[in-house]
Amino acid sequence: MNIGTATSDDNPTHSYLGSRGIWITYVLIVLIAHFMLLSVPFLTVAMAWSLTNVIHCVITYFMLHVTKGTPWGTPEQGKARMLTQWEQIDCGQQFTPTKKFLTIVPIVIFCLASFYTKYDSLHFIVNLAALGLSVIPKLPQLHGVRIFNINKW
Amino acid sequence: MATVPSFIPESWEMYDMIQAFLQAPSYHLFVEVLLILWIFKLLFFSKQYAPESVLTEKEKEELIAEWQPEPLTPDVPDDHPVLQTMEKNMIHGKPGKYVIIGDKTCINMATLNFLGMAGNPVVEAEAISTLKKYGVGSCGPRGFYGTMDVHLHLEEKLAKFMNSEEAILYSYGFATIASAIPAYSKRGDVIFCDDGVCFSIQKGLVASRSKIKWFKHNDMDDLERLLKEQSQEDKKNPKKAKVTRRFMVVEGLYLNTGDICPLPKLIELKWKYKVRLFMEESFSFGVLGDTGKGVTEHFNVSGDEIDLIAASLENAIGSSGGFCCGKKYVIDHQRLSGLGYCFSASLPPMLATAAIQSLKLIEEDPNMLVNLRENCEKVHEKLSQIEGMMVVGEPIAPIKHLRLADLDMERNLDINTLQKIADHARENGVALTLARFLESEEHKLPAPSIRVSVNSQLTDEEINKTADLISQACQAVLPKEA
Repeated sequence: MNIGTATSDDNPTHSYLGSRGIWITYVLIVLIAHFMLLSVPFLTVAMAWSLTNVIHCVITYFMLHVTKGTPWGTPEQGKARMLTQWEQIDCGQQFTPTKKFLTIVPIVIFCLASFYTKYDSLHFIVNLAALGLSVIPKLPQLHGVRIFNINKW
Repeated sequence: MATVPSFIPESWEMYDMIQAFLQAPSYHLFVEVLLILWIFKLLFFSKQYAPESVLTEKEKEELIAEWQPEPLTPDVPDDHPVLQTMEKNMIHGKPGKYVIIGDKTCINMATLNFLGMAGNPVVEAEAISTLKKYGVGSCGPRGFYGTMDVHLHLEEKLAKFMNSEEAILYSYGFATIASAIPAYSKRGDVIFCDDGVCFSIQKGLVASRSKIKWFKHNDMDDLERLLKEQSQEDKKNPKKAKVTRRFMVVEGLYLNTGDICPLPKLIELKWKYKVRLFMEESFSFGVLGDTGKGVTEHFNVSGDEIDLIAASLENAIGSSGGFCCGKKYVIDHQRLSGLGYCFSASLPPMLATAAIQSLKLIEEDPNMLVNLRENCEKVHEKLSQIEGMMVVGEPIAPIKHLRLADLDMERNLDINTLQKIADHARENGVALTLARFLESEEHKLPAPSIRVSVNSQLTDEEINKTADLISQACQAVLPKEA
């Protein structure tokens, strides 16, 4: 990221999710969280998978689509104050590798969760809702759109 | 077979799950197929693109056509009052005890040259010899090739003069306290501040982003009330209190009112409520106390009782810049955290040696301080006899604020009246100035006044003459009572 050096970008959100090692770290964090849930004695396999999916979707929703501006404290002086983290990634370009990756991960988790919940209908509804929360705001058509002015300011 | 505790759910075999997949409901599989298609589309059929500009070319051109550039300089008429004032206030020569305004020689009661150091030939000679050795500028901030031996000498001299462990030199008096406060007090900290403090302190408070609690000017009961409130709040939330720093910020001698802070009481409160005390001594340094050490000496209090003393060298010392002094570990913090110290070019060497010379002169002849106080008292007495006017401040303060006894509702009218008095006095040979403020920026705007400053070199005759002339000016301008 080279924050503070002469040639740096003043907003690290533009690039940090695409920097070296971030994707593998992300996958590892999801896996470790999943194994921790699996090791809780009360939870069935199905519950552990659904929880993994729901927690992952909710956390990424808040991290990428609710948080605005530059939480990592940079000298960019509030230029991105009105943009969510997702909208800042790769300077707002669509279908970049980072954005594709971040869209595919929740879908894969959903499919795995479907399999491990034995295609139970209640789990399906909950998981699909969570997936929608995570994936719908990532659509290029919704770039900069604030439905019902939610999170507008 | 070992019994499995009941809270552990049964595990599933892969065979069961594959069976479940084969019997999965069709709507579920449909969704999954769609999602997998989406992944394929993302991976193989989505091309990266940059979002289009929100504006079309036509809209852009319209905006450009609409735009009217503002003039680079405002259109000012030739008879604008500020221009006129500038013409009227042209000064020739050095503003010492006397000042030449236009072509008229006046007794200088306007500049804060309390000991006559500005224009002192000994100080000047010292400055000129340094100029010949080092040139004018120091060419850099202190931490970046801007430190010269004279800066270290001055810091040493100031520390010795103030009986403190260390002093740190700033190159601008205003920036001294305005940098010192935010160096220590940060967001979430609490500052108790007198509401009559001068503008540089107010800017320091703003820069610190701390929570400011104002107490009434020199009102120790009000301060104690706030401190009690704070200690109760701290008891409620000890975790927060643990990381909150608490400061008191006061001026030694207040620029805006000419009175002195009740230091013994402040120190008592400081120890009682465990608050750090910062004192700004720009107008008391080199003025109060037998040897000019300021308010601490005036009250006969040890300087160690105060965590930080800041003062400007631009008033009594007649040089430029400012300094902070206190314990070594307190002061050293500013060498990396005092913004005015780190990021501004250091004091020109000749001004540093001029300040050293001024300090030497004060040490050699502490009598000038006695003279100054006598003069202050005389001026105070004379000015308080003027009808229709009111003198604010301590008699021994070298700054007197001459206010109208009857204030008008309209501030500007008062200012005009006072300006007329000042103009009248100047016609007859006394240079006066009004106390000026950035009115919209002040925390608590003081009443308009003429700010009279006293010089230690004034003789009795000059004082009498000055007082007479000011009195005449007041009589000429103020409406006669029927």
